[in-house]
Amino acid sequence: MTAPDSNAAQIAAAAAAANALPPAADERPEWTPRAEMTVLNREIPRLDGPQKVTGRARYTHDVRLPGMVYARLVVTPYARADVGRISLTAARKVPGVVYAETVKADDEGVRYQGYDGILVVVAAETPEAAEDGVRAVRAKVTPLRPPLVTPEQALADGAPQITRRGNVSSESSRGDSDAAAAALEGCDAVVEATYTLPVQHHVCLETHGCVVDYRGGDSATVYHSSQYVTGGPQEFAQYLELPRGNVRVICEHMGGGFGSKFGAGTEGLLACQTAKALGRPVHLMLTREDEFLMAGNRSGSKQRMVGGATKDGKLRALLVEADRLGGVGQGSLPTPPYIYDVETSWSRLRSVHTATDSNRAQRSPGHPQASFAMESLVDELAYALSIDPLAMRLANLSDPVYHRQLQRAAREIGWDAHPHKTAHGAPDADGRALGIGFGVSTWGSSSRPDAIVEVRIHPDGSLEVSNAVQDIGQGSRTLVAAIVAEEFGLPVSAVTPRIGDSSLPTSVYSGGSITTGSVAPAVKDAAFNARTALAARVATALGVEPDTLVFRGGRVEVRDDPSVGMSWKGACALLGGDPLTASGKYRDHLHGERVHGAQAAKVSVDVLTGRVRVLRMVCVQDQGIPFNRMALRSQINGGLIQALSYGLFEERVIDPIHGVMLSDDLEAYKIAGAQEMPEFTVILDDDDDRQAAMGMAEAPNIPGHGAIANAVYNACGVRVRDMPLTPDKILTKWLEMQR
Amino acid sequence: MSEPKPPSGAPRDPSRRAFLRGALAAGAITQTLSKVEAALAEPTVDPSAAASADDEVATLAGKVPVTLSINGRDTKLSIEPRTTLLSALRVHADPPLTGTKEVCAQGNCGACTVLLDGRPVYACLQLAIDVQGRAIRTVEGLGTPEALSPVQAAFCEHDALMCGFCTPGFVVATTACLEKNPSASLDEIKHELSGNLCRCGTYPHVFAAALDAGARLGGEPRKDAR
Repeated sequence: MTAPDSNAAQIAAAAAAANALPPAADERPEWTPRAEMTVLNREIPRLDGPQKVTGRARYTHDVRLPGMVYARLVVTPYARADVGRISLTAARKVPGVVYAETVKADDEGVRYQGYDGILVVVAAETPEAAEDGVRAVRAKVTPLRPPLVTPEQALADGAPQITRRGNVSSESSRGDSDAAAAALEGCDAVVEATYTLPVQHHVCLETHGCVVDYRGGDSATVYHSSQYVTGGPQEFAQYLELPRGNVRVICEHMGGGFGSKFGAGTEGLLACQTAKALGRPVHLMLTREDEFLMAGNRSGSKQRMVGGATKDGKLRALLVEADRLGGVGQGSLPTPPYIYDVETSWSRLRSVHTATDSNRAQRSPGHPQASFAMESLVDELAYALSIDPLAMRLANLSDPVYHRQLQRAAREIGWDAHPHKTAHGAPDADGRALGIGFGVSTWGSSSRPDAIVEVRIHPDGSLEVSNAVQDIGQGSRTLVAAIVAEEFGLPVSAVTPRIGDSSLPTSVYSGGSITTGSVAPAVKDAAFNARTALAARVATALGVEPDTLVFRGGRVEVRDDPSVGMSWKGACALLGGDPLTASGKYRDHLHGERVHGAQAAKVSVDVLTGRVRVLRMVCVQDQGIPFNRMALRSQINGGLIQALSYGLFEERVIDPIHGVMLSDDLEAYKIAGAQEMPEFTVILDDDDDRQAAMGMAEAPNIPGHGAIANAVYNACGVRVRDMPLTPDKILTKWLEMQR
Repeated sequence: MSEPKPPSGAPRDPSRRAFLRGALAAGAITQTLSKVEAALAEPTVDPSAAASADDEVATLAGKVPVTLSINGRDTKLSIEPRTTLLSALRVHADPPLTGTKEVCAQGNCGACTVLLDGRPVYACLQLAIDVQGRAIRTVEGLGTPEALSPVQAAFCEHDALMCGFCTPGFVVATTACLEKNPSASLDEIKHELSGNLCRCGTYPHVFAAALDAGARLGGEPRKDAR
């Protein structure tokens, strides 16, 4: 305790008086004006960075417990199959194998690739023994033909039924097709095109799975690589047949989710069953191959579009027939015309099912698919009318934010000086052509009202903030601490964040960019309540009004007379023996909705090899209050890179004869690496002055691949309408153009 | 060192399913397809007739003592000869060293990169028994949260990590790159890190951290010719 605050009797009296004070006045928390922020709206290094860069951060995959066994799945590679006799006798004889059970009932076949392809669970003392156990399983599996892994197979006459809803489901239409067709008549340019996108995988580097610590008895702890820790106990308790309150779920760190890790999954169920049977902790993390087969994906898409525009660049008519290709799942696609204003439009959407793994939410579900089609169509119409594609976009976007952002992106990428804006360019003597393309994004950034946050101030000055929220890489651990630090005028390091544990106060899932918008207001509310309570005690001790006090620079002092005050530690000492605990809940006025975003890409196309090299990507992104500017840039880089990877490389490939996935490792399923990285220019749009918390993980992930495709056209006139933009497609089209 | 026990019989035919999996991992798609076709053309074994054979298993088991020099300390393990260095570190070492991550376990991603006599290698592609007597450095041996190495510190300051699962591999690969050449240019760094995959999208910040760390290590990062 420091000298000015060392009068114990005075402190005790003040503490007693403070306890008698009425509750805080009915003012409500408000975000600090950005210019006055001392912690937030700055570059905040992650609090868990040192743990992660030294290998000390413990992920689910890293959990080691006494008596723990390693479980593995036996999975058929076929999409559809008859399953005959499964013999586990040999597997059970493998030294170290302690468990081998079939998952399938007698004569139960495999109806689709994914969870339905799991035949057996094996558990053993070591991962090596578990693998031996997997290899020793004998199963008679006969693939069925056709495997129904393509939309064409699923739609063929007489095709076996894939889902209970049939092979086509969830049809809907919007608009008047006659009116839209009539509107085409008055157009100066009409483009008719089909845009297709492959199935993309999440490729979480930590595979799906959990460690179930159940050793008999009536309680369990589950370590789960999860995007929804608070939701975990309900599911795991059901699988373990335990009371929900007796199951604790922990996710200290997790190696990526991207929308695929909301629930326990079948792997979670099987881990629980194995743990129940053995009374021992079970480690069940999917192999990389299993991950590709059953851990979800972004649905593919086929969009047949007819669009028309008049020579003033206005979009007048649009007709869309679109298939969502989500395997046994429904797939996702926002209703056209997506972001752009079109005078008259009609669309019909449906889900075409295949006997493949269900899609799951994947970062901005449906939007990258819709964006590619719409950004391509707008571009095609612009060139058909010899209109600058940037001007064409501005003509059909009513929200002024897009105008500000697109113009900024265009300036950064050098559009003004670009030599060919209204017609495509040509390769130089070395066969290389340069092009620029654009795209825009949108996301709702909504929130959930569930989060409850606890802030605890200890008499020794230490400070904790607690909420069950998971940090999936966006930096939520650092964010919750930083908001509290801002409130008390302390450095971020003064706050200990406690997250990723279902025994902590309720939180929300991390998906749809809702984490920040849902949790930050509750953290602010809790911090505000804690500050109000502490200020009351300090005010009594100092003999001033509480509302004259400010917390800044590690002190609590009178705003206009800093000589009247005390250190943070002195203030906390007023608490006497007990910590001060304040809770906070979601406050809607602290949250904002809807972000935009504009992107530009510059590419070099080599027409001799068909190779596209992205040289530069620019993103201008709004996000309400930019709490942690460094983490936001990381998040935006991530969106741009995933879009680049999706646009140039990624594609699930399933052999259509046997229904075997051919792209089930990171060799065959390529994601972007260091050598493919362009120069990134990420601009946080500070003209967005909304004093609101909102997430923006999804938005920067949406238009990048479309912008790249448009840049390829702008470079050399090759219009690729089916992603990814692989060299074979570029070369084929280029050679067609030369004929 | 004791010899592993010889097999009690000739290796058994792998199951058809396992064979197909092996074939699928084997190589070019056309080649794979022909193997799949060949496999499907095989007569299906009647499992009831073959039941006795199917229910037997030939195992080649037995542990050997192995001493690994991990982060400057000799670590004694008793492991099977087929144990990878990755598994030795993550599973069999006591206490386990789980900083080295398992992502693909087949040499595609770099998450398990460790230094072997100063050179970066994929721990999933090394047998532990083969790297006895060689200096193994893992991410845990480079620095501690309280005393970060220059590369680790630069990663934190530049936010060169998000979910963090690829991060140990990148930290180790960057360390190898800069120990070889602290003046590495951006293009050279990209080349050196091209064996590591990240999904969150940390590459730009990793490059910035690597350039910064190079300068801290006394290098003068060169500009690439453009």
